[in-house]
Amino acid sequence: MTVPLPAAAENPSLPQYVIREPSGPYRSLNPATKLSVAALEVVAAFVIPGWLGPGLVIAVVLVTAASSRTLRGLVIIGLAALPLVVSIMVVNLFLLPGAVDPIARIGPLAPTWSGFWFGLLTTARLLAFSSALALAYLTTPVDDLLADMSRRGLGRRGVFVVGAAVQMVPRTIERVGEIMDAQRARGMDTEGRIWRRARGVVPLAGPVVFGALAEVEERTMALESRAFTAPGRQTLLRVPPDRSIDRALRWLALVSVAAIVAVRITGRMG
Amino acid sequence: MAIELGSVRYRYAGSSSAALGPVDLRVEPGRVLGVVGANESGKTTLCLVASGFAPAVVGGRLEGSVQIDGIDAATLRPHELAQRCGLLFQNAATQLSGTTATVLEEVAFGPCNLGLPVAEVMERVWWALRAVGVVALAPRDPARLSGGQGQLVALASVLALRPRYLILDEPTSELDPAGTALVADALARVAGETGAGILLVEHKTDVLARIADEVVVLEGGAVALAGPAAAVLSDPRLAELGVEPPARVLLEREVRAAGFDWSAGLAEAIG
Amino acid sequence: MDMLKGWVARQFTTRVIVLMPVAIAINIVLGYTVQSVLKLPVYVDSIGTILVGCVAGPLPGAITGILSNLIWQYAPGIGAGSQIGPFAITAGVIGLLAGVWGQLGVFRPRRGHGLNIVAAVVAVVLIGALALYTYGRAFSSPEQFSSATFKDTSVFDQSRFFFLAVMVVFVGLVAWALLLRRDIGAVFAISAGLFTGIVAAVLSAPVYAFFYGGLSGSGTDAIVAAFRAGGDSLYQATLKQGLLSDPIDKMITTFVVFFLVGSLSRRFVARFPNGEKIVGPEAEPVTTPEAG
Repeated sequence: MTVPLPAAAENPSLPQYVIREPSGPYRSLNPATKLSVAALEVVAAFVIPGWLGPGLVIAVVLVTAASSRTLRGLVIIGLAALPLVVSIMVVNLFLLPGAVDPIARIGPLAPTWSGFWFGLLTTARLLAFSSALALAYLTTPVDDLLADMSRRGLGRRGVFVVGAAVQMVPRTIERVGEIMDAQRARGMDTEGRIWRRARGVVPLAGPVVFGALAEVEERTMALESRAFTAPGRQTLLRVPPDRSIDRALRWLALVSVAAIVAVRITGRMG
Repeated sequence: MAIELGSVRYRYAGSSSAALGPVDLRVEPGRVLGVVGANESGKTTLCLVASGFAPAVVGGRLEGSVQIDGIDAATLRPHELAQRCGLLFQNAATQLSGTTATVLEEVAFGPCNLGLPVAEVMERVWWALRAVGVVALAPRDPARLSGGQGQLVALASVLALRPRYLILDEPTSELDPAGTALVADALARVAGETGAGILLVEHKTDVLARIADEVVVLEGGAVALAGPAAAVLSDPRLAELGVEPPARVLLEREVRAAGFDWSAGLAEAIG
Repeated sequence: MDMLKGWVARQFTTRVIVLMPVAIAINIVLGYTVQSVLKLPVYVDSIGTILVGCVAGPLPGAITGILSNLIWQYAPGIGAGSQIGPFAITAGVIGLLAGVWGQLGVFRPRRGHGLNIVAAVVAVVLIGALALYTYGRAFSSPEQFSSATFKDTSVFDQSRFFFLAVMVVFVGLVAWALLLRRDIGAVFAISAGLFTGIVAAVLSAPVYAFFYGGLSGSGTDAIVAAFRAGGDSLYQATLKQGLLSDPIDKMITTFVVFFLVGSLSRRFVARFPNGEKIVGPEAEPVTTPEAG
């Protein structure tokens, strides 16, 4: 089987559109490093007592986000958490058990200062931990994460499941949108009373689920016919670099987590 | 050197009746074998059995022998079968792995699964892209291709494993005429340049008329007609077997029925 | 050790590996649609998990659940407000249980004759007793699961009320299922759902309380607030809300999966590791596909 190779193949290194190196000091860190930093931030937000923990974490996250141009994404995610924040503030403001320092009395309701501060602290911790994780997600493309985990030993099946799921979600959402439009044209109610909305679920979920399952057989064949079940390790075309600064940062994160936890525990006992 | 099916009968798991059989068939390198038949005549099952994927991947019970280049298919594992027989289906979207960002990485999926060194992977990828004629698509996102382009990329990604045989189950059935022509041309090119043996299941007999060497007609899971493509495709029994003859054959019949002559030169000119 | 490795490998055939991302996508998309778009007070985000658990096994089920939670938090486009990453463990347990139910043949269609009816009644009595016990303990005092007598009638009424509410849904779903299809298997499936729901509520209450103060930004927060107003602790209020939402949600989900599995073609289901246990044994032995 002799087919002459095109000129591009003479250059053995990979094309740029495959290498896809991220730019920026934070983004170009190894995915495992970014996850370690996020883990440190989550631990700090909850284990360091009082306002110091969440405050530090939020400050660090904001600075890192600004330097890696992800502030906008972070704000969007933060805004999506708004209903939850409102809920936390309202419930704690009015219903913190054992609070005896009312701000005012509005009929039977008595918002309390302790409730207010506790609600604010809970909100701060929540925002700290979710923004830390969100930052790691926003600065790490999924294929980079998977390629790195693959290098560290994650098998091809794990890589496939996560990679395929992430790509499949937007596709499935589109399909749901199409079905919903079609159903609306036929009179399905998405805004009305709860019973009518509930009835709309089955004609919506049914086609989505069955459509997705119908593909399973062919996708299985497709994987097998691309030697998916061959033994041994999969070749990685591209792997995010793991530099000495990455290793140093991860070691630092580990030590910090241990230190924070140790101080907190001994502080309580001492 | 061939895929040989000898007295093959096959039954799916959880099914009580045979989906295929008895069938004797031969796919030779460098030749295109077309397969036609009505719906449910066993065409897809034939593809799965001839490639060894039934029963290796789908289970079920096989009687008779399936030999690929002299080796019993039942002794081969799916990844070994994949390197001997490339298998392709109708729906381009479900054949793309759904995990890659560019066509190049998609076509590299197979060789990477084999654990080959990066240099060899890239060599095979460029070779496959070139053989199918889609080098220009290499940087594109596989999820954003047209139906015809998707099928070509699927073909390239299977070809990257360098199988000696290709088995295609109605690859153009979901494509418009432009996509169909694209895939048919690519198949003809691949057959010519790589010397692969091709088993092509097609509803569109025009495609077979153009590129098939021999044609087999299936009915009820068994072979009803077999022979050189031109002869089988103009056989009057095709209609009762649920197969529409190619447009050229129909035209020839109409012309003759109207009392005119039909010459070989006319046939050539129509193409 | 080899037996264990074999047991693990058997559950992860290529077909299962293909099903898992599909199931994860179903979880995320249906959950999002039902919760945020249709704004119904149920989660419906474990249909995929329970499906994988029952056709493939406990491990694939657990992993599907865990990954759904992790990926949802970060899924492009809809991840943001869902805030459910920390519940990965609960989701994992749900998948694990579904695998156990699948291997026990809970989702298998069964005729309504003698032995099956007796078994169904036994299952209902058992699950009812478990529910009664759990609700009694959970609602009986402000401290978690402390030994309580039922002499304090006011809190006993509270537990009775919620127990009855959940059992009403249970009976309703079973009746509906038997009407749709005369299949005693539905009783087992929905009982399994109730059990799973109770376990899920108990497991997720501490996580919920710790990370989110028991709140989620959705309508169920009103229930939590009401309990808090009644004097319950954070954990207690969260647990009570969970014991109302989770069992109902899991019963609905298991009901859906039961009918879903029954509607899929026999040929399709039979090719999965647990498939034979769901569609019933094959008349003759056939070659089964290799694992992995």
